[in-house]
Amino acid sequence: MLLKLEEVTKRFGGLVAVNSVSLEIDEGEKVGIVGPNGSGKTTLYNVISGVYAPDGGRIFFEGKEITNLPAHERTKLGIARTFQVPRPFGSATVRENVAIGAMFGRANAGVDEALEMADRYLEMVGIYELREKEAKLLTPLEKKLMELARALAMKPKLLLLDELLAGMNPQDINRILDLINKVKEEENIATIAMVEHLMHAITKFAERVVVMHQGSKLIEGPTMEVLNHPKVVEVYLGEKLKIG
Amino acid sequence: MRNYTPLVTLLLIYAVMIAIGQGIQGMWQPIMLVIFYIAVGQALNIFLGMTGYVNFGYVALLGVGAYGMAVALGYYTDLGLIPALTLGFILAILLAFIVSMVVGGIALRLRGAYFAIATIGVNEGIKYLILGGKIWGGSSGIVLSGILRKAYGAETMRFLSTVFADAGLIVVAILSGVITMYILNSRLGYGLIALREDEDAAKVMGINVRRYKQIAFVISCILAGLIGATAWTLKLTYVFPQDVFAINYTVEAIVIVMLGGAGTLLGPVVGGLIYALLKYYLTIAFPGMQLLILAPLLIIVILLFPEGVVGYLAKAARGTRFEKFVR
Amino acid sequence: MAFVEQLISNLLYGAILGSVYGLATMGLSLIFGVLRIVNVGHGAFIMVGAFIAYWMFILYGIPPLISLFLAIAVGMAIGLAIYMLVVKRLVDAPELASLLAMFAIGIFIEEFAKQIWGADYVGYSWEIGGVSMLFTEVPFTKLLAFASSIVIAAVVYVWFRKTKIGKAVRAVVEDREGATTCGIDVSRIYALSFSLGIGLTVLSGVLVTLFTPVGINVYMGGEYTLKAFVIAVLGGLASPWGAFYAGFIFGLIENGSYTLLGLIPGVEPFGLTRFLSSVVLMLVLLVKPTGLLGGE
Ligand SMILES: Nc1ncnc2c1ncn2[C@@H]1O[C@H](COP(=O)(O)OP(=O)(O)OP(=O)(O)O)[C@@H](O)[C@H]1O
Ligand SMILES: [Mg+2]
Repeated sequence: MLLKLEEVTKRFGGLVAVNSVSLEIDEGEKVGIVGPNGSGKTTLYNVISGVYAPDGGRIFFEGKEITNLPAHERTKLGIARTFQVPRPFGSATVRENVAIGAMFGRANAGVDEALEMADRYLEMVGIYELREKEAKLLTPLEKKLMELARALAMKPKLLLLDELLAGMNPQDINRILDLINKVKEEENIATIAMVEHLMHAITKFAERVVVMHQGSKLIEGPTMEVLNHPKVVEVYLGEKLKIG
Repeated sequence: MRNYTPLVTLLLIYAVMIAIGQGIQGMWQPIMLVIFYIAVGQALNIFLGMTGYVNFGYVALLGVGAYGMAVALGYYTDLGLIPALTLGFILAILLAFIVSMVVGGIALRLRGAYFAIATIGVNEGIKYLILGGKIWGGSSGIVLSGILRKAYGAETMRFLSTVFADAGLIVVAILSGVITMYILNSRLGYGLIALREDEDAAKVMGINVRRYKQIAFVISCILAGLIGATAWTLKLTYVFPQDVFAINYTVEAIVIVMLGGAGTLLGPVVGGLIYALLKYYLTIAFPGMQLLILAPLLIIVILLFPEGVVGYLAKAARGTRFEKFVR
Repeated sequence: MAFVEQLISNLLYGAILGSVYGLATMGLSLIFGVLRIVNVGHGAFIMVGAFIAYWMFILYGIPPLISLFLAIAVGMAIGLAIYMLVVKRLVDAPELASLLAMFAIGIFIEEFAKQIWGADYVGYSWEIGGVSMLFTEVPFTKLLAFASSIVIAAVVYVWFRKTKIGKAVRAVVEDREGATTCGIDVSRIYALSFSLGIGLTVLSGVLVTLFTPVGINVYMGGEYTLKAFVIAVLGGLASPWGAFYAGFIFGLIENGSYTLLGLIPGVEPFGLTRFLSSVVLMLVLLVKPTGLLGGE
């Protein structure tokens, strides 16, 4: 088992953003995480990656407890993520941004090696020609691709994607999904979790789905089974199911 | 790839400056003033420029460095010249190291503006510790000229306060530049740039931000201490708390860094050149009004040219054959 | 026995002075609370107020209590001008920019003042008698300063709680985005708060002159900048009321420790008190960084 959460809770003042969530992700899995807006998906990522310490519960990575480990040490162990709202290092170039991932992530590369890796991953996500541009000048879509390249360059064991595909057109979505699948095979980034509102992307990508609702885990299981479950349909009633 | 070529530009500028200073009558003094301000900017830049954190207590580090050298030469004169000088450099480094570890250890737990607030008291604090505690002569400071003349002779003392002090400062200035270049090309530099742009994201990228900030802070402070030891104690042969803890040096260093371009190698050089020459001639033209002119200048730079001269040039040079030489 | 008497009278003095300190810090906290801008040039504005009191008294014999009105008007005008020219463009800029700009503005004001008034210490004395309290004679001027500080702070408090615009300011402090969506014109609130913050600071400078035995000079502000930050940090930085209460605490600590440090032979208690202020500033930030950092 790669990642294990035991009754993890995170509060913001009176609001319980993540409410006693237990979750296990096995090595090699492709997991989808869905849920209405504000159901706690991003907060769950923040607690896993170490942005926030949980108010309760325990977190294990490869069997080792990481509940109180600072974010940068978790990254070194092999956790990487993208941000829902991209967070580029604005005045650095695109290439330097990705190189920073390679240097300080699990890849732990030296400067020269990291810059070479950056070129390779930029090529892979399709924005190689932008590599000398200042990151703050990119379009939102380009920023997302850069974030993906940066996360991949870290060579994580667990990759957490947060609404990476939102705002992309169908061709891009398919291209990125193919890319992620390819990377998973070739680069040995074996385990990927994907938070997404786009149900067709989830159905295409995920083998297993976790549904979040008001901070709690509502249900989890094989993708199609879960998405058609009455409870899930009920939660999404009123919310437009974004299929298609 | 790693690029050390801007060092060529840097060394060329120093060579030209030294040549002008030695070759043209009356130019050595303004040139040394320029080099002093370049050094002051370069040392501050390693922290302020690379992390985006403001250290309002900067001048205190020049001050403790100056005291380190003064204490060695003034109180351990009997050790002999070379050992006393060596001890002076060691004490300057050690005091700067201790102060920066303590201040950094406490204040660098704080983010951005809170860090700046915490450092507001550092300069005053150390100054009034010396004054109030009557340490190292309290308000009467340490006056070395008599001691040095008596112990080592007038000739040696003159050599110390002219050639040796100037050479020492030039070495420290160039060393600061070389260290800056090294940092910019190293993992440390990439980590610092990342945390300057977005500290939380930097943490998630695996950067130990506390440690990196502390390293940059300590390096910056030690270089400042060495500047104080050479440019003040050795050159002037006296140290008074009112002089070495004068806040205007902090202002001047910040102006130089911002004017030249924060976080660049050549920024402090260009900023120091512009600033020192401006100051030199302004002082002659409008005595006592430097700060009055400088303060609005700083505001204008911040509002209109936040990237500074070199930041702007480096962008303009991108894609041309000069690109390699500007950073 | 003499020592105890001295300690008690110094503490009494500390409490009186503390009220002025508190008032002198409210503007700093208001500006930080609303605009998230740290006015590192704070002390320079106190100096401006001090000189207003001095010149009004010397030239026209106007007592400081009357000068208070002029001071707040001048201060608000200066504040508005600075907001329009500089601060407006920096509200959303990186912290570095606004910190350095406020620093430069403070220095500019000091240097400008030096060109007009010179760098010498000057003073005036407003003698209106005193009253005997506890073990000491307290001049009426200081009691008036104490009373004015409390009255002014109370007026500001009522203005915040009861008027529509005061409530809007509070709404912005609590939640910038929320306030915008409620239809509050945030940029107007910024201008007003900055202007009022500087106005209060200049105003407090008038009262400060009643406590400066060596007189005033254009560089007197540095000391008050440091004190104001210690007080603001003690009071939670973003809360003018916290700052006002913390002013009392600081006045007591300062005068109490001054008396105690005087017992140590071979040191100069005045200097060491200022050293202690710096240490307190850091330690408070260290002990309570999370509280001050808000979220984290
Ligand atoms: N830093 C924070 N401070 C206060 N509340 C927060 C914070 N971060 C998140 N929240 C709150 O926690 C709840 C969960 O938010 P979260 O961002 O995790 O939801 P989400 O499932 O990612 O939603 P979305 O699909 O919109 O991205 C929300 O009510 C949100 O407002
Ligand atoms: Mg989210």
